[in-house]
Amino acid sequence: MGSLSSTLSIATQSLLAQETALSVTNNNIANANTAGYARETVSLSENSPTSNGSLSVGNGVTVSGITSVKDELLSLRIQQQTSQQSSADAQVNALNQIQTLFPISGNSLASSLSGFFTSLSALSSNPTDAANRQTVLSNAQTLVDQFNTISAGLSGPSSSLNTTVQTDVTNVNQLAGQAASLNEQILEQKATGQDSGTLEDQLGQVELQLSSLTNLNVTHTESGDTLTTGNGSPLVLGNESYALQTETGSDGNLHVYDSSGSDITSSISSGDLGGTIQTRDTTIPKLQSSLDTLANQFATAFNSAQTSGYDQNGTKGAALFSVSSTVSGSAANIKLTTTDPSKIAASSDGTSGSNGNVSNLTALQTSTLPVGESATTLSANLVYQVGELTSDATAQSSSLSLSLTSLNTQQSSVSGVSIDEETANLVRYQQAYQAAAKVVSTIQTLFDATINMIN
Amino acid sequence: MRFVSSITANVIADIQTSDKTLQTALQQVSTGQRVSVASDDPAASAALIQVETQAANLDQYTSNAQSALSQAQTADSVVTSVVSLLNQAITIGTAGANSTNSAANRQADATTVEGLLSNVVSLANTTFQGVSIFGGTVSGKQIFTADANSSTGYSYNGNSGINNISIGDSLTVQANIPGNTLFTSSNASVLGALSNLKTALESGSSTDIGNATTAITTALNYVSQQHVIYGNTINQLESQETYLASDKVTLTSRETSLVGIDTATAAENLSQAETSNTATLSAAAKILQQNNLLDYLK
Repeated sequence: MGSLSSTLSIATQSLLAQETALSVTNNNIANANTAGYARETVSLSENSPTSNGSLSVGNGVTVSGITSVKDELLSLRIQQQTSQQSSADAQVNALNQIQTLFPISGNSLASSLSGFFTSLSALSSNPTDAANRQTVLSNAQTLVDQFNTISAGLSGPSSSLNTTVQTDVTNVNQLAGQAASLNEQILEQKATGQDSGTLEDQLGQVELQLSSLTNLNVTHTESGDTLTTGNGSPLVLGNESYALQTETGSDGNLHVYDSSGSDITSSISSGDLGGTIQTRDTTIPKLQSSLDTLANQFATAFNSAQTSGYDQNGTKGAALFSVSSTVSGSAANIKLTTTDPSKIAASSDGTSGSNGNVSNLTALQTSTLPVGESATTLSANLVYQVGELTSDATAQSSSLSLSLTSLNTQQSSVSGVSIDEETANLVRYQQAYQAAAKVVSTIQTLFDATINMIN
Repeated sequence: MRFVSSITANVIADIQTSDKTLQTALQQVSTGQRVSVASDDPAASAALIQVETQAANLDQYTSNAQSALSQAQTADSVVTSVVSLLNQAITIGTAGANSTNSAANRQADATTVEGLLSNVVSLANTTFQGVSIFGGTVSGKQIFTADANSSTGYSYNGNSGINNISIGDSLTVQANIPGNTLFTSSNASVLGALSNLKTALESGSSTDIGNATTAITTALNYVSQQHVIYGNTINQLESQETYLASDKVTLTSRETSLVGIDTATAAENLSQAETSNTATLSAAAKILQQNNLLDYLK
């Protein structure tokens, strides 16, 4: 048989339980717009009943736990997609800068090449005309300037990308430190049997930020989340974080080393760091090498065509372009060997009025260079390459952004706070609280009645 | 599935997408171009560059053809004058060969022929833009100069070089006929024949005068043949100019089809983008003012 005082104690428990539920609801509402917050739910359970003979009376309510509602798989997919999107975005940013070096109209490498050849063709109608010769030389200078400018423009992003690598690595190390300390706190909190939902939300946020910087692999273990990057280089093991190092390599670029000193630059496959490294180490060198090949083979072929003719003074033609013997660096260091317009070898027989060699010079516009394409086609291919890379990266970025939006919607349907739902809960718990309070006041009047009986 | 409206984020993304489409449509209308950077259409951009190179070449071929044409026309008129001078010489020679002609008359004729000779020489020295048109590939020199040691009284300072000018991707035109082909050819020398006629008239031998006149007729026929070459060149250049102009039109329309956008399509795209942008914005305004439970709990 229950007593008045045990009923009072049930009412008190109820009051406390509703208070907890109210405060969780309150916290959900407060964090409705907090990034990475997963809504929490209160589980209430009934206490075991007191048996009195054949009667069994319930013993009130207790708060059995507060749990964060989340879907691990979704979080992992969001991390992966974020990582890939950051990589694509980093490439789009760099490529948009590079693309301005290869305009499709106006002053471009292709237009300089074409200008140079048309001025040579003009020379054929009057090979002795000083103005014609000067135009050829000026156009040659414009062409050389284009090679130099584009080459410099390609190495410009390289150096700013190194700065990005440095910043990203610093951020990764800082976040890894945070993750390690969160691992430790979560472990401590779990040891005391408390809910660690809030800390786990924070860890999830840190992991999301880490995946936007580098490729991240997360493993849940007894001692907290193990985080690795590259091909399994550790960032966080339990409560220990392992910092990445950077050092300038022999190629002049910043390389990334893991805590054991291995070079992991090429194995960082995604995130801002991955995208930056890919642009710096793959995309730009490929474009640079195409440009160098064009500069080197074109200059060599033109110089050789020069030597098959004679200049205006009847001397055997000499090289017009000075270019390095190695292909690498050709575009950067190509220059003219002369400022004397009479050095253009238009003549095929040594007489100043002959234009016999002009056709050999202009033939280079369409003749195949050793690489298998003509100079004009090569310059058009460069534009194609840059355009294709940029449009690919842009398309990738926008498709990833769409799928991320849909994943985020899914995640918010699982973990997001619904204000309407919380408002309903608020009303529910408020009523329960009011009812429990009514029980207390009822029991008080009962006590009063009992005491008055004594009087 | 539990539904939680994370509307704000979606609304912002939708507005951004719609704004971007509108921006693109506006840009296409204002520039008339579908492709403004290589990434808009890499293949079309690469093709455009080839087409532009071709167009620049066409312009240059046209200008080469025009320059060659002026040169050929100048040469043509020179040769026409030479032909008429030779006809005069033949008339004089035919009259001079007549045995009834007096020595004094022949002397006077010789002087006339000498005048014709120096006229021809001066025509042979014609320059075009500072370059002798009959000097082969030699420049900066007087091409025919008086030379007492030469049988014709003149020596040729040019060479037999020929310049060809490109007026198409694989089409060249001969720009000049060297003076030693035109005026001092070994079997039909214009200068030699005139000089011989002068000598024959001075000597007074009817046979010599007759022979010299025949030689001039030979030279005249030869020069007339060469004259035809110039005529053909001029015809060729004129028809090539017409062809280049029509080719230029083809290239321009190819350029437009590669990267341009026709005005109607652009305008339609723009009005579609505007409609969709307005719809997105008004939908967003509705959604953001959506009611929630709190509005009804009073």
